[in-house]
Amino acid sequence: MTYFSFVRAEFLVLWRRKQDVLNALLFFVIVVVLFPIGIDSSSEFLTPAASGIIWCATVLAVLMAVDSLFKEDYRDGSLEQLVVCGLSLPLLILLKVIAQWLAVILPLLVIMPLLGEMLYLSSASLWALMVTLLVGSPSLFFMGVIGAALTVSIKQGAILVMLLILPFYLPVIIFSTLAVKAAQAGLPYSGFLAMLLAMSLLSLVLSPFMTAIAVKASVN
Amino acid sequence: MHSFASLTVSDLWIERAERDLCKGLSFSVQSGDVVRILGENGAGKSSLLKVIVGILSPLQGQIVYSGEDVTVDRRFLQQDVIYLGHSSGIKPQLTVIENLRWYCPDASPSALHEVLESLELIDHIDVPVKKLSAGQARRVALSRLWLGKKTLWLLDEPFASLDVRGVELLEACIRQHASVGGLVLLTTHQDLPSLSTRDVALLS
Repeated sequence: MTYFSFVRAEFLVLWRRKQDVLNALLFFVIVVVLFPIGIDSSSEFLTPAASGIIWCATVLAVLMAVDSLFKEDYRDGSLEQLVVCGLSLPLLILLKVIAQWLAVILPLLVIMPLLGEMLYLSSASLWALMVTLLVGSPSLFFMGVIGAALTVSIKQGAILVMLLILPFYLPVIIFSTLAVKAAQAGLPYSGFLAMLLAMSLLSLVLSPFMTAIAVKASVN
Repeated sequence: MHSFASLTVSDLWIERAERDLCKGLSFSVQSGDVVRILGENGAGKSSLLKVIVGILSPLQGQIVYSGEDVTVDRRFLQQDVIYLGHSSGIKPQLTVIENLRWYCPDASPSALHEVLESLELIDHIDVPVKKLSAGQARRVALSRLWLGKKTLWLLDEPFASLDVRGVELLEACIRQHASVGGLVLLTTHQDLPSLSTRDVALLS
């Protein structure tokens, strides 16, 4: 096994299991669409609430996606093979998370203009929202995989992942929504983006090593 | 031809589910050896292989591979090992050829073709593994032995799910590997009359 053959196999598996990614995206769209229908469809309510709605839906979709990240590998024994293949396990995990992030977040960004239109977001606010997603969502994935790796051998681990990881998601949600709110008010929001970027970079550095320890603990 | 390799396990104790296994097991094997690990269910055969490959850590003891102490850090050993556990490690969504390219990216197309033909998988080359029978999926996993150029093979119940022809093929493969200086440790409950094995017995 090489890093390249691993990445190629990961993308092939993601393509063959596209139903899982589509489920997360569909879930995201349903949550966003239900808000205007269930609460208030006026622009007075939706415009200020838009960033919160989008980010809460994103968090739920990411939790859905990361929960299944190692489950299949654990079942078929390939997770065990990653541990013993002689390649760097943290680096393999980093590559796996990047592949999953691309598969979930890129389609989400593609449909974002449509949802932004539905939530009465101005183009400047929509742009700010998309940038926060691009910069902030990696930290959601990197923190989420630690929980996913810890609970991979537990049958009903999804709830446990949420309980373990959700508190760490709160700063990301807060800074993202504040960034969009600042953009809506015409204020600079680069400071919030810097915080999101810092969180993503920190989790990118720490998470693969912590996840590798959790994976090794789970496979034995 | 593989370079000379040896594996020495000294005073090995393994703890699983608050039970002590192996209890001071010591043995030494070297290139050309085929070692059958024997023991009752739960005696620790699979755990022993997992400890050697680095999935589990021993409670006590030392593991030396080709002169290098790998008790704490198994990376040196992992560079030179193929481990096949109870689960095959084969991705069911990928086809036979995609799985082999994942594990053995350096294998030439002709080598892949030859192995798949000898394992009677050539007609299923583009079939997702989830659509194959358990025995065929096991053959896909075992094909790594033909293609991966590693000296040490750790095989946990490798004959499970295989038919008579599959068992013959695998035995021939193990014989061939040992004859060129390979080293094989396997767990199985069945007799292997065509293989000259050394036995390591684990007491419950």
